[in-house]
Amino acid sequence: MNRKRKTPSSSATERVIGDFAGRPVRVIIVVVSLIAILFPLYWLIANSLRTKTDYLANPPILFNAPVTIQNYQKILIENGIFKEFTNTFIVAAVSTVIAVVFGSMAAYATVRGRIAKKIRNFFGLWFMIQKMYPAIATAIPVYLVMRHLRLIDTRFALIIMNTSFNLPLVIWLMMGFFEQIPLEMEESAIIDGANFVQRFFRIVFPVTTPGIIASAILAFVGAWNEFLFAVILSVNRSKTLPVVIAGFITDRGLEWGPMAATAVITLLPILIVVWALQKNFVQGLAMGAVKG
Amino acid sequence: MNTNQLKRKSRSETSDAFWSWIFMTPTTLFLVITALIPLLYSVYISFFKLKMNLPNATPSYVGFANYARMLTDKTLRVATSNTFLFAFVSVTLELVIGLFVAMAFCSDRRWARLGTSVLLVPMIMAPVAIGTLWRMMLDGNTGVINYLLGFLGMDSVNWLSNPKYAMPAVLFVNVWQLVPWVVIVAAAGLKALPGDCLEAALVDGASNRQIFWHIVLPMISPLLVIIYMLRFVDAFKVFDTVYTMTNGGPGTATEMLPNYIYKQGMKYFDVGYTAALAIAFVVVMSLFTAIFLKIRKRVEERVQ
Repeated sequence: MNRKRKTPSSSATERVIGDFAGRPVRVIIVVVSLIAILFPLYWLIANSLRTKTDYLANPPILFNAPVTIQNYQKILIENGIFKEFTNTFIVAAVSTVIAVVFGSMAAYATVRGRIAKKIRNFFGLWFMIQKMYPAIATAIPVYLVMRHLRLIDTRFALIIMNTSFNLPLVIWLMMGFFEQIPLEMEESAIIDGANFVQRFFRIVFPVTTPGIIASAILAFVGAWNEFLFAVILSVNRSKTLPVVIAGFITDRGLEWGPMAATAVITLLPILIVVWALQKNFVQGLAMGAVKG
Repeated sequence: MNTNQLKRKSRSETSDAFWSWIFMTPTTLFLVITALIPLLYSVYISFFKLKMNLPNATPSYVGFANYARMLTDKTLRVATSNTFLFAFVSVTLELVIGLFVAMAFCSDRRWARLGTSVLLVPMIMAPVAIGTLWRMMLDGNTGVINYLLGFLGMDSVNWLSNPKYAMPAVLFVNVWQLVPWVVIVAAAGLKALPGDCLEAALVDGASNRQIFWHIVLPMISPLLVIIYMLRFVDAFKVFDTVYTMTNGGPGTATEMLPNYIYKQGMKYFDVGYTAALAIAFVVVMSLFTAIFLKIRKRVEERVQ
């Protein structure tokens, strides 16, 4: 069968959906939505390259005449942002790796494990609730326990909490990807004598690499940007970039320039990663919602 | 199958069951320790009067007093209605705008791929950065938004310090942040529509508009229901942008539940009351999740 006809990639259907209200309306929607995103992004970058008098100018200056890197110098040298950058990276990376390894194992056991169907459904439901419930609910008890264990202001505490948020996310995504694997594939492996662990690593894992990548990026971006627990559990040593950004809103006034520079430094690395792996990222987002 | 094979099969089944449980164990332990136990601890604390800034004070048991206090807490009532309003308005706008943008971007061409790359930016930017960026842009004196609106003949507005405009501003920023998510998910649904069906309608002489109302919308509506529910539950957890843009202000104009709970705990150090609020919040959210799961199940059955 011709696969092309099954998907609406043919230009006729593309036109039907795209031009649902006529070509001019479509062009307007596309242009307006791109400007709506690109202008704030431009404004962020432009302000990170401005002097204090320029970013507080009234009326605002739309285009930078002189470009200055003094905001970047300030946050890199005076504030030593490198420390927070390292913290953010370590917390995001370690919690992502743990969540992807343990989460995909749990997801596989939930989807295809040799456990009674009822019990597997129970686990599936529990993971789902974990994903939905508000983080703020456990903030206070977690703070009290961490304080008792003297873990406040350590990266360890942040890694633990981010892993806790990322596990349900990874499980939820990977369950969707595992469900798509045809049962026959595993059945033939069973006949060949492969046990549960071998099937997972040799057969299931290789074919779900896109899913693994997708959930890894989503988990990484989530942990990289996480703010609530980062601000509660860190004082100084374990601060992450989002905490620094929020810290520029002070009683003494708002330091837009350094704030914008920090925000650019926070955004740039993950933006590059996500753009490089855009296909997986988009697939992950779609899977997270449409999962069967 | 001879006896030898049967024996091997049953042995492998026991081993499979064993390994299935092993696979389940790390996650289960992790979530029990970091999520379930803190939640139960929260329930326990909610029956005590306890101030976090006085570490040596002994907590005193107060029964349901913390829960009773919620009934007379005026700010809580405002925060609750604000949160409902916020969730309802923001998610509705996001769904409508997101669907139209997704349709406009429905193409396999290069411009659509590049456009999608741009759409991903608000999704990747730290919500804290989004909040501060828009706080800068919406500033009453030096903000660029007022400046640009000036060209359209509009007067300057103190977006975030005027109680009348603060909520619309926070709503707008949330829409900016999350329309792209709706676009990406809805686009995946649009791409999965059967092309034959649309082409057949086209051959029959239906206009694009008719096809949208009679074919595309009915076929994509189950997905839209799921998107709406997912976003609705999520909108209740809005914290980062509110915290950085207004911190609930001016007054209580943009006070919402997560921010209010955070303030009770980390600003007033009222641990007992915070725990009670958190538990009540979780109960409400669980209710929403249950409703969501029911609706999703029904939608899935309808699709099949």
